[in-house]
Amino acid sequence: MTKLLALDVAANCCSRETPHWHPHLTGGHMKRIMLGLIGAALLLLVSAGESYAIPAFSRKYKTSCSTCHYAAPMLNAFGKAFRNNGYRYPAGTDLEMTKEEPVSLGAEGQKRAFPDAIWPADIPGTSPFSVRAISRVNYQAIGDVKWNLELPHELELLYAATIGENFSVFGEAEIENEGGETEIAFPVFLQYDHSPGLHIRAGMVYADPTPTHLRLTRNHYNVASLRSRNGFRLRDDFAGLEVWGAMNGADGRGGFTYRAGIVNGQGSLADVNKEKDFYGRATYKIGGLGEIGGTEGSTSEVVDFFIDNSLTLGAFGYVGTASKAGSPDEDFQIYGGDADFWYDRFILNGMVMFMNSDITGKTDQKSFAYYAQGQYVLYPWLIGIVRYEWEDRDTDSDVVKPINSVIPAITVMARANVKFICEFKIPLDDANKNKNTFTLQIEFGI
Amino acid sequence: MHRFEERQEMKKHVLVIGVGVLFLCHTGTLAAGDIKGKVKARGAKHNGDAVIFIDKIPGKTFQPPKEHATMDQKNLVFIPHVLPVLVGTTVGYLNSDDVLHNVFTPDKCAEKFNLGTWPKGQVRSFTFKEPGCVPVMLCNVHPEMEAFVVVLENPYYAVSAKDGSYTIKNVPAGKYTLKIWHEKLKGESQEVTVMESGDIVVDFEIKR
Repeated sequence: MTKLLALDVAANCCSRETPHWHPHLTGGHMKRIMLGLIGAALLLLVSAGESYAIPAFSRKYKTSCSTCHYAAPMLNAFGKAFRNNGYRYPAGTDLEMTKEEPVSLGAEGQKRAFPDAIWPADIPGTSPFSVRAISRVNYQAIGDVKWNLELPHELELLYAATIGENFSVFGEAEIENEGGETEIAFPVFLQYDHSPGLHIRAGMVYADPTPTHLRLTRNHYNVASLRSRNGFRLRDDFAGLEVWGAMNGADGRGGFTYRAGIVNGQGSLADVNKEKDFYGRATYKIGGLGEIGGTEGSTSEVVDFFIDNSLTLGAFGYVGTASKAGSPDEDFQIYGGDADFWYDRFILNGMVMFMNSDITGKTDQKSFAYYAQGQYVLYPWLIGIVRYEWEDRDTDSDVVKPINSVIPAITVMARANVKFICEFKIPLDDANKNKNTFTLQIEFGI
Repeated sequence: MHRFEERQEMKKHVLVIGVGVLFLCHTGTLAAGDIKGKVKARGAKHNGDAVIFIDKIPGKTFQPPKEHATMDQKNLVFIPHVLPVLVGTTVGYLNSDDVLHNVFTPDKCAEKFNLGTWPKGQVRSFTFKEPGCVPVMLCNVHPEMEAFVVVLENPYYAVSAKDGSYTIKNVPAGKYTLKIWHEKLKGESQEVTVMESGDIVVDFEIKR
């Protein structure tokens, strides 16, 4: 699910999937850099993407995964509203909807004794832990090993809980096979939930505007994977501080979300340069379930957990600095927009992203990428997806050619918590033609 | 005593006796008893939610109640879990949660109805027209939610409590076949005779 590639990021070199060291650095200089990079890499290893598929919530509320998930980990409209309420049921009904009696960490009356007492809270009555496992059977048309049985690819120990009325936590400990390397990560955040309109998060934050960690495909979105010249990419993990919130539209439908944050940027837990990165994102949803839920104005003749007739428009930006050994720092700006249209069983969405890169002594570079994706629920357990991706790493260059590909996939929910994905990636550009890949992904969560 | 007064007194006595006779005749035709008993559900978590009902009563038809029966959706649970109704009864489905709910059934005998979704505090309804139908009630939004409506031909039925106890009240005297329905377990029918007065006790054991 998440992609660590920590060594790859630290070294800022090499292929996307196989970490290795920069070849031309040697001697003492190399040793110092190596030590630094190893240290950075070890720290980087603690980062991973945000996960949302949490069976612990199923246990807490005694409800199905489908209550919050279109098909785990992709959230449906209610799942987003639940998240936007700080992992609580909307409209202040969390207590009555909770089926597991929480353990009190202080009586309600302790509030009256404050500041001479610790403000009361509670924790889940049973274990907040869940397990998610992902296995893969991979095929690549070009390569010595065409078929690879990656069983398993990844194991995640997920945990999530609310702490009293105003705090929530979310985290995971993750072991992942990435190109033959075993990687470990343990991202976590603590969030203060003042109200649905104002959350303050410390730890792992959501700087990536794509739904990378909530996607239904094995392949990441190209806009999230597009690297700057010094190796930055959106799909890497970000530790920092974030302010975010959501609110319903005027009629209780749709609504507005925002988030803004400061992060180390490249390097996640161990900043590789002295500059901090900043990001922001805003969306506006027209129609559909309110961003923070509630049932006002929700009369409909057609309903299903995967239906939310709506149009959401969004914009995002990221400003940062990326560093790479042997190169001056790179100042870059990313901005773009996206649209997400849900109608009955059909979803059409897409995103465009522009990246400007400025490295002292080098010509400025502009990159452009987009994707468009359509998906259709044939049955609630059978979803067809087709994604088209296009990217041009250097729009001003005739040498650097754009690449594009199409990704058809079928997701089969054998059970609400057991999923199979059959997915092809078919490159369409000349440079990558015939480098087709296929993955059968097998997942379960308990 | 004057003749007139005697005549009046006689009339009073006749009236009292007449009323008494009429009352006796009246109660005689409506003589009824209760059927009580216990259900032992082997293989279930509790002994509740079994429907005990009198099978067809030949030659008699019953008008459905004008008042609607109610099935609530509260805290992601259908309440009650099992709802027996007389054929022709309209069931109102109330959404008591501040989340979207839906009610539908995949069963043909209930026309595979799908009521869509509606806000908290509002009700949508459906009339069950086919006797013997036991449609499952589901929610498209919360797949774990489940309930049953048991459509019966007469109003003589009861749902067992968790301890297994049940009472069918005011059953007219006569011979009947007493049946039991449970969503997972099965039990044998029993022939019963309800006397003009007094209760009878009929216990059931149901299993897979």
